[in-house]
Amino acid sequence: MNHHKSLAIFILLLSLILSYFSARSFLSMRENEKYYPSESNTKIKPLSDYFEGIKNTRGDTPVYLFENEQPGGTILILGGTHPDEPASNITTVCLMENLKISSGRVIIIPRANNSGFTHSDPQEGNPQRFYFKTKSGERWFRYGSRSTNPIDQWPDPEVYRHYPSGQKLSGAETRNLNRAYPGRPDGSLTEKITYAIMQLIKDEAVDLAIDIHEASPEYPVVNAIVTHPLAFDLTGEVVLYLQMEDFEFNLEQSPENFRGLSHREWGDHLQIPAILMETACAMHGRYHGSKNADKAITGLDRFYIEADKHELLSVPYPENGIPLKERVGRHLKTIQKILEIWNNYNPEKSIVVENIPDFFEMQEKGVGAFLVSGE
Amino acid sequence: MPLEFYVLLVMLTSFALAVFLGKFPIGVSLALSSIIGALVAGFGFPLRHLVEGTFAYLDPILIITSAMIFMEIIKETGALGEISRLIIIYLHNRPFWMLSLITLFIMFPGMITGLSTAAVLTTGAIVAPALMRLGIPRVQTGSIIAMAALFGMIAPPINVPVMIIGGGVDMPYIGFELPLLFASLPLAIITTTSIGYRYVKSVNIEKIKKDLPESQIDKHGFRLFLPILILIIFMLVTRLIPGKYTALGMPLIFAICCLSAFKSGKAFNYYKVTKRAIKNAMPVMGILVGIGIFIQIMTLTGVRGFLIVKTVQLPSFWLYVGIVVSLPIFGAISSYGASYVLGVPFLLALLGKSEIIVASGLTLIASLGDLMPPTALAGIFAAQVVGESNYFRILKNCLPYAAITALYGIGMILLANVLAKFLIL
Ligand SMILES: [Zn+2]
Repeated sequence: MNHHKSLAIFILLLSLILSYFSARSFLSMRENEKYYPSESNTKIKPLSDYFEGIKNTRGDTPVYLFENEQPGGTILILGGTHPDEPASNITTVCLMENLKISSGRVIIIPRANNSGFTHSDPQEGNPQRFYFKTKSGERWFRYGSRSTNPIDQWPDPEVYRHYPSGQKLSGAETRNLNRAYPGRPDGSLTEKITYAIMQLIKDEAVDLAIDIHEASPEYPVVNAIVTHPLAFDLTGEVVLYLQMEDFEFNLEQSPENFRGLSHREWGDHLQIPAILMETACAMHGRYHGSKNADKAITGLDRFYIEADKHELLSVPYPENGIPLKERVGRHLKTIQKILEIWNNYNPEKSIVVENIPDFFEMQEKGVGAFLVSGE
Repeated sequence: MPLEFYVLLVMLTSFALAVFLGKFPIGVSLALSSIIGALVAGFGFPLRHLVEGTFAYLDPILIITSAMIFMEIIKETGALGEISRLIIIYLHNRPFWMLSLITLFIMFPGMITGLSTAAVLTTGAIVAPALMRLGIPRVQTGSIIAMAALFGMIAPPINVPVMIIGGGVDMPYIGFELPLLFASLPLAIITTTSIGYRYVKSVNIEKIKKDLPESQIDKHGFRLFLPILILIIFMLVTRLIPGKYTALGMPLIFAICCLSAFKSGKAFNYYKVTKRAIKNAMPVMGILVGIGIFIQIMTLTGVRGFLIVKTVQLPSFWLYVGIVVSLPIFGAISSYGASYVLGVPFLLALLGKSEIIVASGLTLIASLGDLMPPTALAGIFAAQVVGESNYFRILKNCLPYAAITALYGIGMILLANVLAKFLIL
C-alpha cells in the first residue's frame, strides 16, 4: 500500500470515529426533559389532536390543560416558540409545576416548536442543556434552536414568502414559528404547527393568549409587552400597574404591516386579545462573550456590561447581569397581572389561578426552588 | 486586554503558521487553529461544536458542487462555446451595449438567487470565452465576471444579506427595489466598461471569426441550449409561482439540468465530468467547512462578541472605517455571515438614518467579502471560469473597483436620509 492510500484510509477512519461521537451528541438533543405538572393538571393532549397533519412528526408537542369545574374563561400560554430563549420555556414550566386553579382553564404548551428543541443553531455555540438545583438534586432543561430542525424541514427557499400575505423574509425564517402564523394544513411543518395552534385556539374557545419570548438586550423591542389592538386596554392597564410597582415595561402595539407573528395573526384571524412578552437574554445578541450552560442561568456577560456603558443597548444592563430568575420572575409577574386585570373586566370569564411563584421570592431563592425535585 | 484578545491572536497566528509553514490547505488550517483556540480558551476539544459549525455551510456546499458539475457539462457539450460565438457575431460592433448586456446577463442569476457564486458559475462561465476571444485578457475577464456577480447578488429582486439584516431587526423586505438598483446597476456598468471597453472598442472580427469553435447548433439544433433553458425556467418558476412543488432548491435544479444535457451536444462522460468538477470544488468546500468551524469557536469563546463590541463603539468617523474594513474582512467567510454578525449591530449603531438605505449600503460593502481571501468565493470561481491559476491576480485587478464600491456604499449610508426621499416610494 502506498503512502497516499494509507493516509486516505487513516483519515476516513478518523472521520468515522469523530462522526460516531458527534452523532451521539446530536442525537442526545432528542431526549426530552421531564415535567411534573401540578395537581390542577387534568389532561395532557398531543397538539395533533387539534390537527392530524402533525401526528407522528417532531412538530407534535404535548398540550397541558389545567381545569376547574368552576366555569370561567380560558387562557393559552405558549413557551418555547423559540427554544433558544430559556426564560420562555422555563416560565411555562414554573407555572405548570405550581399553579392551582379555582375557576376557568389554563392551557400551556411549554415546547411550542418541539422540533426546534431537538437541535442547536450552527455558529451560535450554545450549550445543549442547562441545569437547576432543586430541593433534592439537579434537573436539566434543553437549550434549543430558534428554528425548526432542518432534519424535519429542508431545504429552505432563498426567500420565505409568508402565507397568505406574500410578505418576503430571508429563507431561514421559513423555519421560524413566530413568522408562520396563521399557517396552513398543507404547508411546511412549521406552518402546520402554527395551523394546529390556531385550531386549538378555536376548538378550545380560548379567550386570551400569551406568547413568551426573550430577545437580545440590543434588540429594539425588549422588556416589552407587544400587544394586538384587541388587548390594548388590558395591557395598558397591566403596564401601568407594573410600573407603579417599579417594573419597567415598554408597551408596543403589534406592527400592522409585519405578518406572521403570533399576537398579530391570533388577534386578526381569531379575534382574541393576544400578547407577546420579551425579556432580555444576554446569550442572544451579538455582543455576548463566551458561552456556557451557567450563563443561561446567570445572564451575566462582561461584554454586555461594556456595551451598556457605551449606550449600545435598548435596556439597562446592570453589573450583575440579568439572571434567569429575574426574567422568569418578570414573565410570571406579568402573567399574574394580566389575569388579575382580565378578571376585573370579565367576571363571567374569570380565570382564577393561585400559587404562581412570586417575583421577589424567586429572586431570593432562585428558579430551582420552584421546580419539582424530580427523581 | 481581555482573554478573548489573546485567544484571537492565538487563532490567527496558528492559522498563519499552518498555512505558510505547515503547508496545510486553508480549510484544514482553519480547523486546526480553531481547535487550538478552543484549547487555549479552556473549552478542551469541543467535538460537537467543531462538527456543528460546519453545518452552517451545508447548503452553499451543495449548491457550489452541483453548479460546478453543471458548468463542466455545458462546457463539454459545446453550449458554452456556441453562446460565445453568437455573442461575438451579433454584438461585436456595438461594444458599449454588448458590455452592458453581458453585465446584466452575468448579474441575472445573482439577482434571482442572491448568490454571487451562482452568477459566476453559470452566466459568468457562459460569457467568459466570448469576452476572451474578443480580446479581453484572462485576468480582466475574470474581474468583470467577479464584480458583475457581486453586483448581481446585491441587485433586486433578491438580496439575501438585506433580508438577513432585516431578520435581526424585524424589518420586512419591502421597498428595497429602487435603493438596491441604485446600489448595484450604475456601479456594475461603470466597472465592466472601465475594465473591458478599451479591449473591445475596435475588434478585428474576421480574425476572431477564424478562431471560433465550429458551430454546434448546426449539428445539434436548439437542443444544445436545453440545459440552460431549463435552468432559467426553473429559476423563474420557483420565484414567480412560489409553492411547495416549485421549491426544489438550487442543487436539485442543477442536477435536473445536468441530466437534461444528455445527448444535447457533443458527447461526454458523466462520471469523468463529475469527478473533475468535484475535484475543482474541493478546496472551496474545505474552506467553507473550515470557516464554519472557525466562527463557531469564535462565538463559543467570546472572540466574536469581543470583535463586535470593540468595533461598534468606535466614534463616528472610525465607525465608518470600521464598516469598510470589518464587513469585507468578516465577509471573507461569506457576505451572509458578515451581514448576520456585523450588519445588524452596524444598522443599530446608525439608527436615525433611513434603515432601508443604510441596509442597502451595508450589504453593498459586505458583498466585497466575496472577493476577500482566503475564501474569496467570487474571485476563486471567476479564476476557475477563465482558467487563471492564480486568483490573486484577479483580486488585484478588482481592487480599485472594490474601493469605489466601498466608498459608494459609505456614501449611501452618509446620505441615507437624502437618498430616501428619492428612492423610497
Ligand atoms: Zn423569540
